[in-house]
Amino acid sequence: MSRYLGLFVAEALEHLEGLSRDLVELERERTPETVDSLFRHAHSVKGMAASMGLEAIATLAHRVEDLVEVLRGDGGGWDQALVDLMLEAADGMQAQVRAAAEGPPPPPPAGLLEALAAAVHARTGRPAAPTRIARTILQHTARRPEAEPPKLAVEVQVLASSHSPGVRAFLVHRKLAALGTVLSVRPSLEELRAGAIADGRISLVVALPGGPAAVRQALAEVPEVEALSIEPLAVPPGPPPEAPSPALEPAHSVRVRTELLDDFLELAGELLLATARLREMGKRLPEAHAPLVEEGVGRLYALAKEMHNRVMGARMTPLAVVTDQLPRAVRDVARRRGREVDLSVEGAEIELDRAILDVLADPLLHVLRNAIDHGIEDGPARAAAGKPPRGSIRLAVRRARDRVVIEVTDDGRGMDVEGLRAAAVAQGALTREAAGRLPDSEVLFLACHPGVSTAGDVSDISGRGVGMDAVKRAVERVGGTLELSSEPGRGTRVAFRLPLTVAVLQLLLVRAGGEVLGLPITKVLGAVEVLPAELERSNGTLAVRHGQSLLPVHGLAALLGFAEAGPRASQPLVLLEADRGPVALAVEGLLGQEEAVIKPLSRPLDQLPGLAGVTILGSGRPVFILDVPRLLA
Amino acid sequence: MPRRVLIVDDAVFMRNMIRDILSAAGYQVVGEATHGIEAVQRHRELRPDLTTMDIVMPYKNGIEATREIVRGDPSARIVICSALGQEALVMEAIEAGAADFVVKPFRPEDVLTVVRKVLGDGPDR
Repeated sequence: MSRYLGLFVAEALEHLEGLSRDLVELERERTPETVDSLFRHAHSVKGMAASMGLEAIATLAHRVEDLVEVLRGDGGGWDQALVDLMLEAADGMQAQVRAAAEGPPPPPPAGLLEALAAAVHARTGRPAAPTRIARTILQHTARRPEAEPPKLAVEVQVLASSHSPGVRAFLVHRKLAALGTVLSVRPSLEELRAGAIADGRISLVVALPGGPAAVRQALAEVPEVEALSIEPLAVPPGPPPEAPSPALEPAHSVRVRTELLDDFLELAGELLLATARLREMGKRLPEAHAPLVEEGVGRLYALAKEMHNRVMGARMTPLAVVTDQLPRAVRDVARRRGREVDLSVEGAEIELDRAILDVLADPLLHVLRNAIDHGIEDGPARAAAGKPPRGSIRLAVRRARDRVVIEVTDDGRGMDVEGLRAAAVAQGALTREAAGRLPDSEVLFLACHPGVSTAGDVSDISGRGVGMDAVKRAVERVGGTLELSSEPGRGTRVAFRLPLTVAVLQLLLVRAGGEVLGLPITKVLGAVEVLPAELERSNGTLAVRHGQSLLPVHGLAALLGFAEAGPRASQPLVLLEADRGPVALAVEGLLGQEEAVIKPLSRPLDQLPGLAGVTILGSGRPVFILDVPRLLA
Repeated sequence: MPRRVLIVDDAVFMRNMIRDILSAAGYQVVGEATHGIEAVQRHRELRPDLTTMDIVMPYKNGIEATREIVRGDPSARIVICSALGQEALVMEAIEAGAADFVVKPFRPEDVLTVVRKVLGDGPDR
């Protein structure tokens, strides 16, 4: 049994997190699905603990399961005290499970079993049943369908590794048809039977009583397929999402320590660098040997790159890992502050590099705490402002090209711009004149200035731990940017704009001021060479015509403070995406593309705006990578 | 308690291979059958949690056997083991009530992925 202990602990903790999450959800809205899910979590923990011989945990889980069972039948029986009690039980089990990793778990906290039993007794009028053994949850799944099951547009991808994509697609259709009505399927069933399924993509329109959760669950039970999107059917059906994100699939997996993945990534990166260096050296060999070596190195490079990709892929983790814990945390903070707050989370299935996720957990929590502490007003103030009694915080995650945006918006009072100005002056961070000149949008960022906090700000909850300055630093450390906006009386928006991964980037290498510099290719729209006569002057700045528009031209050497080269017969320009639209960068030469393993800059270089990192080229030469939008800002 | 599995295949090699894969993963192989008629009988006696089913077998093929088993026990979970090129037969078997399928030649992890999904006992459930 002991060899399963690690797995038991990890899995039981996951279920217990799920349990807490469901409880918080229930407090907001009681749906049969959530109650079922709650039951399943309790049931799983009971079963697992019992099979591990951990009686103390199984008993507590069993009591919780009993209570859920009773409440399942009793529509009106939920109140806050009950949720508190069950959360307490969830916490108790968590502590027990953690302890089980070291030795026999302690008994449940005193009085907890009795309190749970009493709750059952109070609702049924009979004492809690003695421990029952296995119980099937199947009997509860038959449920009256809602009057009008929602129509959903479902996009499914059959993995390229499948030997029989047509049969897979057929199975998906059947699985969904068993749950409700399949209104349409593309390719048609006839085409699927014939094995015709272009690029493995299936589009269905279904009407299921269980909604998206049921679809996701059903698809999770089919191997070799991935749910690309499950969305309420828009009328007329909109185009497929630009960047479909795979739905959260309970992947069958081996657990690997994240440090091990870090090591793998580091090694794969080093392997890439070493191969690139080898390739450079191969070029200097005599003619007779060069092609053979080149071929070998080429193959090695392809393999190293593939391995690097795979390791990067293995590190991608859905944001749910972080966001799943937030509803509970928000609830606890809100309860302590006597506020009523709902948190909604969207897009948690979007994946980010594990390294970025790890850095994000604390900052996200801090932003949420801030929203509750300083944003959401108390009941009377909300009533006076004509707002609904429960404050709402929305955490939305979405893909924006090669970035992920995590946005936290609240409907509270907004940030106190004048208060921040005054605090900055009072605490000596700014002179009164400078504070007065600072536009409101910039003033918000004073909240990120270490040591600037508005008077009366320091609560026991968000006054300690990381502050907004640490939030900003954390986001920037992983290559992201922090956005703040606020509307007095309406609410605050905090957004993290993050890269998907750290590490590898395709670079366009250019020469400017005699130096070689790298530009991330994701920002590059194109490169052109123009004659000086083709450059136009508008409002005193150079511009170049590009399609319908006139793009501003910036000299890269001048931006970096290098000496500019003299006039030339033809001017190479790199067109790229900056914050305020496309721009053209004048460079001295285009040197080619290179795949680079990015090394973050260390102090003090990381303080320079406009530098995104450094990489070592195959030749051994270090090259700075530019963050052009920040350079232009 | 380990999940109980019945293996149906006319090839002894295939039966051994599937048995090894499943046993190594902690499943208990409670019986084997070499053709469709035997499969239906053994399923009735053993009531396994899962049955792996070859399609092309003597006396009674896997599709017929699947149909009969599911008729007698609608909760029976049957995974079809088919060869490449038998797509049409697999679809027929699915319509007859099979829960899922694997395509030969398979790797152990392919079999286990499907079996776990069908039994709903993946590590994340």
